[in-house]
Amino acid sequence: MLETFKHTVDYLSSPTISFSILTVVTPILFPPTDWFDKINRKLGFYLLWTKKGCVAAMSAITFFFAVGYMDKNFSVILMKGDNFPIVLMVYSIFFFTWLGMHKAYINDERIERGLKPSEYNDPDDKVLVWPDLVYIEFIALILFTVFLVVWSILVAAPLEEPANPASTPNPSKAPWYFLGLQEMLVYYDPWIAGIVLPMFCILGLMAIPYMDINKKGDGYYSFKERRVGIFIFMYGWIVLWLFLIVLGTFFRGPNWNFYGPFEYWDAHKVVALNNVNLSEYFWVKLLGTGLPENILLREVIGFITVGIYLFILPLVLAKTWLKDMLEAYGPIRFVSLMVFGLVMLSLPLKMYFRWIFNLKYFIAIPEFFFNI
Amino acid sequence: MFKNDERYWDINLLNKWFAISSIIFLACTVWVFVDDNDDEFKDYQREFRKMQVEVAQQKLEQQASEVEKERTIYDNALASAQREFDARSNELGELEGELISLKNKHYDQNMKYQSHKANVDALKYLVEAENTHGDHGPSHREEYSAALDKLDILRLEKESTEIEISAVQDDIKVIELMVKQKQEELDQYLKQYTLTENKLSKLDRSRMTMANKLGDIVRDLPILDFLDPYYKVNQIVVADVKYDVNFASVPVVDRCTSCHLGIDNPDFSDAPQPYKTHPNLDLYITSSSPHPMNNFGCTSCHGGRSRGTSFVSSSHTPNTPDEKQRWIEEHDWKVNHHWLTPMLPTKYTEASCFNCHSNTSDLSGGEKINLGLTLIDQAGCNGCHHNENWPTQAKSGPSLKKVNEKLSEDWVAKWVKNPRHFRYNTRMPAIFEQPNQESAKVNAYNNVEIAGITEYLFAGKDKMKGSNSKRFIGDPINGEKLFNAVGCMGCHISEKDPDNTPQINNYKNLTKVHGPNLVGLGSKVSAEWLYEWLMDPQAYMPDTKMPNLRLQPQQAKDISAYLLQDRNESFDDLPNHDYDKAVLDELTVNWLKKSNPERFAVAKAEKMNQDEKLNFIGEKSIRHYGCFGCHHIDGFDNAKPIGVEITEEGSKPVGKFDFGLYHDIEHSVHAWIENKLRTPRIYDRGKESQHLDLLKMPNFHFSEEEIEAITTAVLGFNSNKVGESLKAYKKAPDVYKKGHRLVKQYNCQGCHLIDNRGGQLVEHIGPPEYGPPNLNTEGRKANPDWLLSFFNDPSIIRPNLQVKMPSFHQISDEDWDAIIAYFQHMDGEHLNYRAEHEFDRSSTEFVAGEKLHEFGECAKCHFYGKTFPSGEAPTWAPNLALTKERLNPGWVSEWLKDPQVIMPGTKMPAPYLPDKETLAADGSEDIMGEALVKLGGDSTAMLDGLRDYLWNIKGSTNIDGLIKAYFDEHGYDFDSVSEDDYEEEEGWDDEDDWDEDDDW
Repeated sequence: MLETFKHTVDYLSSPTISFSILTVVTPILFPPTDWFDKINRKLGFYLLWTKKGCVAAMSAITFFFAVGYMDKNFSVILMKGDNFPIVLMVYSIFFFTWLGMHKAYINDERIERGLKPSEYNDPDDKVLVWPDLVYIEFIALILFTVFLVVWSILVAAPLEEPANPASTPNPSKAPWYFLGLQEMLVYYDPWIAGIVLPMFCILGLMAIPYMDINKKGDGYYSFKERRVGIFIFMYGWIVLWLFLIVLGTFFRGPNWNFYGPFEYWDAHKVVALNNVNLSEYFWVKLLGTGLPENILLREVIGFITVGIYLFILPLVLAKTWLKDMLEAYGPIRFVSLMVFGLVMLSLPLKMYFRWIFNLKYFIAIPEFFFNI
Repeated sequence: MFKNDERYWDINLLNKWFAISSIIFLACTVWVFVDDNDDEFKDYQREFRKMQVEVAQQKLEQQASEVEKERTIYDNALASAQREFDARSNELGELEGELISLKNKHYDQNMKYQSHKANVDALKYLVEAENTHGDHGPSHREEYSAALDKLDILRLEKESTEIEISAVQDDIKVIELMVKQKQEELDQYLKQYTLTENKLSKLDRSRMTMANKLGDIVRDLPILDFLDPYYKVNQIVVADVKYDVNFASVPVVDRCTSCHLGIDNPDFSDAPQPYKTHPNLDLYITSSSPHPMNNFGCTSCHGGRSRGTSFVSSSHTPNTPDEKQRWIEEHDWKVNHHWLTPMLPTKYTEASCFNCHSNTSDLSGGEKINLGLTLIDQAGCNGCHHNENWPTQAKSGPSLKKVNEKLSEDWVAKWVKNPRHFRYNTRMPAIFEQPNQESAKVNAYNNVEIAGITEYLFAGKDKMKGSNSKRFIGDPINGEKLFNAVGCMGCHISEKDPDNTPQINNYKNLTKVHGPNLVGLGSKVSAEWLYEWLMDPQAYMPDTKMPNLRLQPQQAKDISAYLLQDRNESFDDLPNHDYDKAVLDELTVNWLKKSNPERFAVAKAEKMNQDEKLNFIGEKSIRHYGCFGCHHIDGFDNAKPIGVEITEEGSKPVGKFDFGLYHDIEHSVHAWIENKLRTPRIYDRGKESQHLDLLKMPNFHFSEEEIEAITTAVLGFNSNKVGESLKAYKKAPDVYKKGHRLVKQYNCQGCHLIDNRGGQLVEHIGPPEYGPPNLNTEGRKANPDWLLSFFNDPSIIRPNLQVKMPSFHQISDEDWDAIIAYFQHMDGEHLNYRAEHEFDRSSTEFVAGEKLHEFGECAKCHFYGKTFPSGEAPTWAPNLALTKERLNPGWVSEWLKDPQVIMPGTKMPAPYLPDKETLAADGSEDIMGEALVKLGGDSTAMLDGLRDYLWNIKGSTNIDGLIKAYFDEHGYDFDSVSEDDYEEEEGWDDEDDWDEDDDW
């Protein structure tokens, strides 16, 4: 029974499956449109944001880790000093997401009934900085310090041997907060995964206040009033960032191979990674000729594809599906939104292209270290 | 203040929260201190302190009981002195009063004197100015001389008081001394006791005063303990030993003594770990040992994480699986993955000797690594594994260049397939029939390879094996006698029963099987070949390790007959080697495919005939399996070794070892090496490798002792860094390393005891005087010129030995030079050339020596040139006419003084030296002679005289012909005389007889 559970979890954890599940589940959990909302209601996903849902989900997470700590393979990974924060992270992500959504649902209901959000019940919509804010912050500060001190006493710092270029650890892992980036490196060239994408993350987060013209939902929790925004953020934050960290921590073993949580990290595991560039698909497989000598000619399909994705697609969308949005947001906001949105979307797209077509790069010019 | 109702939160509730969290925070801070100060080593130190108190207590009690008796005597003496002192207290009081008044008086006088002296100096200046610059006013000359007079008077007064003072002081001292002296005597007597008592009072809190007790607690409190704590990390900074942290190396800081507290204290030899005393304090730790702790630390030998102060963090390594289990239970032990040099299991600690002693396999106290290094040479490990740290000096197996003259093709094929089918304890490792070759397919390939190797070895050579004609076969019974007597057993055994073969667990046993176990030769070689081999091994193999025994033809025939008697029936019955021709074709193509496209490979293979294919496979297989690592083979003279370089194998990170697919072998460097040696193909288990990709290290069938020894040596091949001053090998000349390895290569220690090692043949032969001589002091003893000429052309030194020094013509002068240098280095001898020993024939010493020589009856045993000794053949001893050529004069004196010291068990008695009393007796001059009496019992002078006399003996130095002729006629039958009978017969032996002679 437990073995079946472990095998199932191992199977479901593989990046293709788990990523797909999350990609499908996220819009249902945070429905951006009425259609998804209907599915949510039908499947009862909204129950997750009730108190019972919280208890159930917390129990499920705890059960998973409990089984993990008792498993001889997973316990090795879980007990590592470096990985302890990830366990805490899983709990805290869920709890704070739940807390926000729980409150948002209450407010949504109130708003539907014509009431003000519950936050408006506070006296005069104001609290004093001192003592109300500073005091509780101070208490929180003390308690958090206590937590950090106890942690540092109980779990030894995960120090390793002096760096030796002749003997590198396997797997060689980035600090936990960068594991998402390291996971991106599997799919993208280093300059994109390590520089462009993180830069877009930061710029995008900075740009949100300037691009957000939705006046609702300000100062109180609510979901319905900004469901598209919440959905996009949740997908980017949970699926494209935190999930990749969890994946990198628990599921990536020697040689950066994928291992299910209950699987033994066998360093001998070999996985075939025969990845093919778009140019090769086009010239070799489709046309049956060799690759052209000229680099630009060789990669022309890639350039066209990327060009269409980044430049033509926004125009088309502006004319058709997102016509209303262009009007509401104005051209500059619209273009910025498109750029950030499409770049964000490029990550899962690239991942799926890799998994389904073994696509290595759309544009592959290793001669100049330019690969997309 | 705000009113509470203006607030969002209930302030009282927040206050409570604040209080609670602050208390938790305070508790946490306390916990931090407790945790920070709760070091594992402190527990050990507390425990050790208790043990120290106990030990000191016992010592104190023991010392108290020892001093008890005498103590009262000293106490009484002190008390009576005290009484006397008390009686004279009045006198003392008076004297003291007098001293005070005298001192007061002196003070006043001194003041007057000093101030007047200042005046005198001022006047002196004025007078001197007058003398040089002329008259400038009234003269001061008279005033000056009057002042000088007064100064004299004042000085005299002062001095007389000083004399009085010192007289009174002396009187006081005399009175005081009575008690002081007795007190000092008592203190001196109780010195040890008082020391122990003081030590105990610092250790044992219950013996401390309240203030000290408090101080003892306070010094170890957190924060305050930076001053002078009792419980602290003990560390030794070893500047000469470095730990490599990549791109830099840092001195080792050993904190082991923080817990191993009794390591240098012999009182704790029975204490449990970690308090136990080091088991070998003579060699290690103490400042008088060659490896003091302050210069070497601990981890330079033991490895481990030197800065660790807990059981786990110091990277201990268990010695056995049981120990590992116990450690896990008791200490939560686990492997410290991030430390690259874990402690060596104690069974492998000797590996570290090699860091500094990397030029010797003769290290005293390092028997395991000695055996390991010697086995590496003997097994020929470095033939395949390049090793800068211990480069190979010679091929370990026989040359196969003329194998066609010695063996048949069929025999070779059967032998290569499994050498143990012929000789159960052969050194030749098994290349085939190993666990990773069990599949039918690989087996078929192997059969082709064996046929190919055989074909290659015999290709283009005459395949006549020689005849078994009666001409080459003599009397086997005499052959067996000779085999046992002439020295064959220095290197060979002939033992059919595996249970009776020597266990290779020490070097001595290894020397017994230096050469092959000579069984089943009848199934192997022809009589003609064996005869010729015995007569002149170098004719067949110029670089063989087998020496020429200078046998008579009949002797060689007899020994051949004896050796050929034994046949290995089961080996003879094995079917002739066969292989599948289709597989030959396939394997040929496989090999060709490695450097050709398959189509070309097939085409090339088709052009070859079967012999060509076999030859091709043979050449490839010899290269593939590295046969040339041990054997000289035509066409492989410059082939590169096939194995992994092992120069720094011991430092290779464990992650670089391939443990294969199974997880049942502990992931440590030593476990990998052990298992590799035990089952060389073990890491192929479960692998789907192609035939030519299989692991190919052959199986040497090492015993567990051999595996442990070799693993120790391989762990010694590492990159650990030690400072120049610690490199012991720099203290020996370079030829030393070569020399002592040559001694092992030619198995000199099979026959001779050298550096207190080896000499098994002596035991085999029986009484040591019939065995090859002990060469312990050879470096000091032999004249190097003579030694070289002897090595090149051995002559008979000890006429009574049937066993004889064979001729090693294959050893070059350069190598002999290294061997002689090795002998000399061992004995601290530095002279290669010395002038002829000068002596005066008319000196008293010489004349006395002549007389002593007469008393000694040297001529009874020793030859004098061609003059035979008067005694029987069994007692015959070296030709004294040869002495001046052969020996160093210094050594001869040393030898004469007491031969038993240099060569225990020798029949040579120490010459009788009359003592002073004997010489002083009336009439001694008549018996002893004038010269001896004159020397008056000076033994050095007498021995020097005797030596000088020996130098004067003239005569032929080579008497081999005479001796041979004698034994050809009379034989060596006396070896059957047992020692006891022989002593009775001869009636003289050791000093007993000389005691009787005192009556002369």
